Amino acid sequence: MKFHFQHFLKALLLGLFTLFFANLHLTGDISKYINPKYDYMSKMAAILFFILLLIQLTRIWQEKHSHHACSHSCDHDHGNNHWSFKRIIGYSIVAFPIITGFMIPPATLDSSIAANKGFLLSQDNSEQKDEDTAAGSLMEDAESLVEKENIDIYSSDVDDIALPNENYVSESEYDEKFRLLQESDTIQMADDMFSTYYAEINDNPKSYAGKKIKMSGFVFKEEGFTGNQLVLSRFLITHCIADASIIGFLSEFNGADTIKEDTWVDIEGVLELGSYGGSELPIIKVTSLNVIDEPSEPYIYPVLKLLGN
Amino acid sequence: MISRKQKSSNEERGDSMQARQKKSVNISTVFVLGILVCSLVPLFLKMDSLKLSNSFLQLNTIFLSILIEAIPFVLIGVLIAGFIQIFITEDHIRAWIPKNKFLAVLMSCIVGAAFPACECGIVPIVRRLIGKGVPLYAGVGFLLTGPLINPIVILSTYMAFGNDMEMAMLRMVVGFVAALAIALVVSVLFRSNQLKNAKEHSHSHTHVKKKQKQPLVPRISEMFKHSIDEFFDMSKYLIAGAFVAAFLQTYVSTQSLLQLGDTQFQSTFVMMALAFVLSLCSEADAFIGASFRNVFPTTSILAFLVYGPMIDFKNTIMLLSVFKAKFVVILFILITSIVFLFVTLSSLL
Repeated sequence: MKFHFQHFLKALLLGLFTLFFANLHLTGDISKYINPKYDYMSKMAAILFFILLLIQLTRIWQEKHSHHACSHSCDHDHGNNHWSFKRIIGYSIVAFPIITGFMIPPATLDSSIAANKGFLLSQDNSEQKDEDTAAGSLMEDAESLVEKENIDIYSSDVDDIALPNENYVSESEYDEKFRLLQESDTIQMADDMFSTYYAEINDNPKSYAGKKIKMSGFVFKEEGFTGNQLVLSRFLITHCIADASIIGFLSEFNGADTIKEDTWVDIEGVLELGSYGGSELPIIKVTSLNVIDEPSEPYIYPVLKLLGN
Repeated sequence: MISRKQKSSNEERGDSMQARQKKSVNISTVFVLGILVCSLVPLFLKMDSLKLSNSFLQLNTIFLSILIEAIPFVLIGVLIAGFIQIFITEDHIRAWIPKNKFLAVLMSCIVGAAFPACECGIVPIVRRLIGKGVPLYAGVGFLLTGPLINPIVILSTYMAFGNDMEMAMLRMVVGFVAALAIALVVSVLFRSNQLKNAKEHSHSHTHVKKKQKQPLVPRISEMFKHSIDEFFDMSKYLIAGAFVAAFLQTYVSTQSLLQLGDTQFQSTFVMMALAFVLSLCSEADAFIGASFRNVFPTTSILAFLVYGPMIDFKNTIMLLSVFKAKFVVILFILITSIVFLFVTLSSLL
């Protein structure tokens, strides 16, 4: 019997991967990385890692020259050989995400990423810029402007708003919420229907002009904005953070320049038909604004209609 | 460069040089990995000072999210690869794959289309299949259609384009035809299997027959052990690829890319470049593609949707770990030109 250090190392890494994936679910941090709708995949990964760990454990102590069943026909590294520089680098690379994953907390995407991805409505003419606004140092300047009235933005007329986590909506519920958008005078941009409402308003800005709107989001600005313009935006996550796209409404009010990028705000305003960069688009004329903390669910997810009821 | 040249000249000299060839492969791998480590070390030093820049926090989050998304699929991939290694013999494969090249390509594309996989999970499977004697062109057909055509991708494409079947159909049909064409060209261009560490086949024959007599339990345990080794083999390339993709997303503006796309030709290239750089999972890219609808014509978006699942940054690095570099470069050129051609043709119909 001989102790195989490389097999031990592989077992250690598998164990750490198991812990990493399990920890993501236990702490709920998983929603900072992927759309929670798909979290069964990463739960399965944690279980698979654990099974592989158990099997790998049996390989740490084995006979010195164990006959390997496939020594000829397979071409990968079985970890029985001697150390090499290449192998050390290989293990370091595998260890790297575990180290950063445990040591560095997940960040919320901010306006610097938004600037790279581009605000899709105004892409044609806007210049790219790379601003590194620290997400933390926010709202001192804006305080004077903020009205302290409390707007309960999510008290929508529909009682059971599905959690953004499980953004499944039944067909009838979906239709009802959609009708609500078309019929009510005040549009509530709640997280669950955000992307649907957003697309609808953008496609038919004329039919929604004049309606009141309530929403929350973070502030994003593009080069070329006037002092009273900002984009109230959200990141739409389809699958994981890497596929985030930024959506939001161009908003106008006096003093927009005093609010820094990445500040989270609640606003109330009136939709108007405006234009930016030569294309027609809906604009929010802001009537009141409230600086808020970053919500625990900063991202929004596409709606999935359940078939049937 | 030197090691690469040395490698290709060794290839031509054949089996007797295998030992040396293997050595040069190692050198080139070390070279690639060395660059990576050199670029990572400063980041670690930065970490020590405990003042991580905000952009690095963002990069790390994107990097981990790509991995968290991809690793479950890679695990499934290596388990299937382990299964193939232990339970499928070369005789099976010889019996299943048609002798006719065209039929073999057609079959591989259809099997790929029926097989739900993502572009990183499929690499270890294809490697193992080709190692077992599946012809290279059939392996390529499977590699291309596996991530591109499957129920989840079709459903997400359907939903992303406002519950409209047209784009999902176009994606499937154009993608399938393009994959057929690419695999056929590969069948003409390459005779050998192009695997990096190709072994002679005669050895494993007798070997497989002997193995079949083994009872089931040790074989299953053997399968898992293979899967573990395969995972460590593959994951380092996946991790490297994910890191580069996250780096590009954090520091390179896609918006500056978008400004290049004035004509349809240009915008199609821009969208293909975007698909390559972003390295999105094929199950999520439809929503990103759809968000460009008001910027670019349908043809360019179709190119994005067909090209991305076939080849992207992280999957190229994984392919480089499996196949000879020359083959990966030629495959890359083939995929790029053929997808471009077919997508453009489809707009004329």
